[in-house]
Amino acid sequence: MVGRRWSVLLLVGALAAASAVGAAAAPAFRFDRNIKVGVVDTYSGPPAVFGNDALNGFKLALQEINRDGVHGARIEFVTRDEKFSPEIGLSMARELVLQERVDVLVGTINSATALAISAFAREQRVPFIVWISKSEKITGAKGHRYVFSTGENTAMAGKALAEAMARRGYARFWLAAEDYEYGHAITNSFWRFMKRAKPESALVGQTWWRTGEPDLVPYLTQILQARPQAVFFGTGGAGMANVMRTMQVIGFAQRIPSAIHTAIDVTVLRPLGAAAPEGVFGTTDYLYYYPETPANRKFVQDFQAAYGSPPGFPAFHGYITGYFVAEAYRKARSLDRDRFVEALEGLRIPTPMGEVEMRGCDHQAVLPIIFGVTRRDPRFPHLVAGDPTILPGRDVMPTCEDIRRERERAQ
Amino acid sequence: MSGRVLLGLALAALAAAPAVLPPFFVYLLALVLVTGLLATSLNLVLGYGGLYQFHHGVFYGIGAYTAAVGITRLGWPAWLAFLVGPLAAGLAGLVIGFFCVRLSRLYFGMLQLSLGSFVWIVALRWYPVTGGDNGIHGIPLPPVLQTLPGAYALVAGAVVASLAALWAVVRSPFGLTLQAIRDNPQRSEVMGVDVRAHQLAAIVLAAFFAGVAGVLYVALERSVFPSMLFWVLSLEILVMCLLGGWFTFSGPLVGAAVVVGLRTLAGRYTEYWTLVLGVLLILLIFFLPEGIMGHLQQRWNAHRAPSARPATAGDVRG
Amino acid sequence: MDAAAVLGQLVVGLSRAMILFIVSAGLTLILGVLRVPNVFHGSLYMLGAFVAWTVAEAVGPHPAGLWLALAAAPLVTAAVGLVLERLLLSRLYYREHLMLILFTFGVMLVLNDLVKLLWGPTYRSLVPPPSLQGAVTLLGVALPKFNLVLLVAGPLVGVGLWLFTHRTRAGRIARAAATDRDMVAVLGVDVSRVFGMAFALGCFLAGLGGALVAPTTSITLGMDHSLLIDSFLIVIVGGLGNLWGALAGSLLFGITQSVGLLVWPQFAVAFPYAVTAAVLLVRPTGLLRSAW
Repeated sequence: MVGRRWSVLLLVGALAAASAVGAAAAPAFRFDRNIKVGVVDTYSGPPAVFGNDALNGFKLALQEINRDGVHGARIEFVTRDEKFSPEIGLSMARELVLQERVDVLVGTINSATALAISAFAREQRVPFIVWISKSEKITGAKGHRYVFSTGENTAMAGKALAEAMARRGYARFWLAAEDYEYGHAITNSFWRFMKRAKPESALVGQTWWRTGEPDLVPYLTQILQARPQAVFFGTGGAGMANVMRTMQVIGFAQRIPSAIHTAIDVTVLRPLGAAAPEGVFGTTDYLYYYPETPANRKFVQDFQAAYGSPPGFPAFHGYITGYFVAEAYRKARSLDRDRFVEALEGLRIPTPMGEVEMRGCDHQAVLPIIFGVTRRDPRFPHLVAGDPTILPGRDVMPTCEDIRRERERAQ
Repeated sequence: MSGRVLLGLALAALAAAPAVLPPFFVYLLALVLVTGLLATSLNLVLGYGGLYQFHHGVFYGIGAYTAAVGITRLGWPAWLAFLVGPLAAGLAGLVIGFFCVRLSRLYFGMLQLSLGSFVWIVALRWYPVTGGDNGIHGIPLPPVLQTLPGAYALVAGAVVASLAALWAVVRSPFGLTLQAIRDNPQRSEVMGVDVRAHQLAAIVLAAFFAGVAGVLYVALERSVFPSMLFWVLSLEILVMCLLGGWFTFSGPLVGAAVVVGLRTLAGRYTEYWTLVLGVLLILLIFFLPEGIMGHLQQRWNAHRAPSARPATAGDVRG
Repeated sequence: MDAAAVLGQLVVGLSRAMILFIVSAGLTLILGVLRVPNVFHGSLYMLGAFVAWTVAEAVGPHPAGLWLALAAAPLVTAAVGLVLERLLLSRLYYREHLMLILFTFGVMLVLNDLVKLLWGPTYRSLVPPPSLQGAVTLLGVALPKFNLVLLVAGPLVGVGLWLFTHRTRAGRIARAAATDRDMVAVLGVDVSRVFGMAFALGCFLAGLGGALVAPTTSITLGMDHSLLIDSFLIVIVGGLGNLWGALAGSLLFGITQSVGLLVWPQFAVAFPYAVTAAVLLVRPTGLLRSAW
């Protein structure tokens, strides 16, 4: 057995040798062409707000990265508008891979499109990074070697909210959600973790409405009449505005405590202005004003200078996606798709929200979740998250063992 | 004759395509063929039958969904699913057609639109079976169909065979009776033709071939989407028939090629592609109501001999 | 389940039914007189909501802004409809009927993209004046104050339409044209002008519906989609071209949904469609006599 001192010496020696080799080799290695990223996302219709925000974050990252390049290569990108339709999205992804010959696919706000492109990416062995859509199936039951997620997902958000509600002692719930992939995913996840956190939790009832339902008053008044202790809303994207505004008009949250993922998010609260309700419990994985770390402040300043408004959570995801791509190619030193996938697995990068790891077992970025309650603040033109707390990503993510079992069950 | 030569050239081009074209264009050509078959099947009832088939996309979707659900949820082999899909579409045509043929034209279309919307809502809501708004993706098929050349060969072969069958239907006594009914239902009735039975048979046939297009879509994309059953798609197929010319057999095929091609190309350069389609449609209605192929045919006929057809074929029937 | 709860939900459903009625009355009017299922009706509804927002924004926080918006939006959509009808649609009346329908589909595609060009993809909120903010408690149910405006507006539109079709010459001609247009033409009436007027009135109602819904919901692209399907179904259930059929269909739609929530909340969304299907299978031509 080697003594302790020797092992330290050996380690130092090995590191020195490795860095010497690295230093000598790094300038010598150059990519022989630029890296091409194909972005498929929604750039028309209401969800375009999210798609454009993510693209802006991605562009900002590429500006910074391309100043020095990645082994002499620039990262270029082309965009395609999927119009919030999985059918169009899939056909665009096909065109990007077969015709434009992109190295990596990136997208999209639409969970259904993300799942469709993911199946295609697996078949074509093209890496696909999902940056906004939150269905946990993407890196969970339907995950595979070529799909990654740089956004928080419904499993993480559902667990964070369920634990927060359990701590407040609520046990009799109503579930109300939009009838589409994300609504189902987030609601199922919340309820699964609620039962785990507080096994005596009981379901008073549930309501589902279709996406784009213009008038939610009948739905909300009916829930008020059923008198549950608390309500969980499974709405997202453009559907958030209607729920939040109707809650404000009839004073819903003042009568029954309500929890919604993204309720404290800036992308939801900013456009609502004065029509946003106070006192709603919510979660998100990024806020431009919290935490006030130097890294976050710099990102917000640069983003504001470039695009005139502070970044929302999609911009954060787009920004770290740019850096994940750059760092993975830097590490892989190859444009081979499989080498890229291997390099991305387990990669850690610094971000505005601190260091973020791309978990190797399920390709899900380990992102923190912020919990808070909507509140008026004179310093801001929109409502903000009151009493924010940060839950580390590893505490709210399903374990690798959970993921493995889920994928087996899906087989 | 020159028609034969053209047909031969087209078949040769189809056969040579995978060897000559880059893969994306092979895929695009296959998509044009599938969509073209769908539009041609609609034209059997629309152009030849004179019926307001407003929601033809439903049969396309039923064919595709039956195959997809059969393979992924029921574990059917692909050949069985591809056989049952069109049959299910034909059956749906029988049920929906049964209620619709009793009604006058506009009511026919509106009732079909509303019955079709139910099918769409079922596909959109029945998560455990249809996958809801996600649809079904990565449908496992035999390895030979998982390659683009394999899928293309199946699509091209089946589309050519289906078009030949539809051509035979149109030229058969049944097809001629159908056109007679379109031009003068009262007289046909007086002459002892069972108008409704003929119309219902045409709907079932058209639905069957729309179902064939649906399963071919599954073979090509290995995915199904609820938007295949949405009314907007049905109106787009109508536009294809109008664009190509609904009084010609090849018109819908040409219309499908133009719409699919434009969507892919215009979608690359502008997010306002629907604006392009809308303007094109309005221009078409005013300046080329007989469609591309209808127009060419008229000029061809005028060139050769005075035609028995009225010059403004699109205008005479109200 | 107590009676007050049912009554409360009934009131809530009624205010939703009023919007549906206003929009589908316009649709059925055009359908009855011109026999065109106007596919861009939903786009005008959306346009009405966006115009209402723009007017209200321009006026600012003054309470008159909302009322001005409610007046301006339907006038704009009526003007758009009238111009389209006089310049283009009227030239198609002698043509294959399908051309008219496809024309309205083409206009829908163009209008929806134009709205996107003009207002962009973000959604807008029209905040009602302070006197109409918040809710009142009615039969134990919290009802937004603005919904009271809807409850008044619906019957007003209904009465107005009745007066128009029964008390004015143009209205009587329109009604006659809906039943037998050839006879009206034989009588030497300029049918084309009546068509234009009926079309503009229908478009007016679409814009009015959009403006009335603007303060209660987010104004977005795509808000026309579900409404268009609903109002088509309502018009079919009510009987094509029959104004009172549109009213019956709207009530059926709005109330089955809101009361269905009390009975079976999980599947309430499917209730109106199930009822529509049941009606159509029994009476394929709708509840009330169709106009032709």
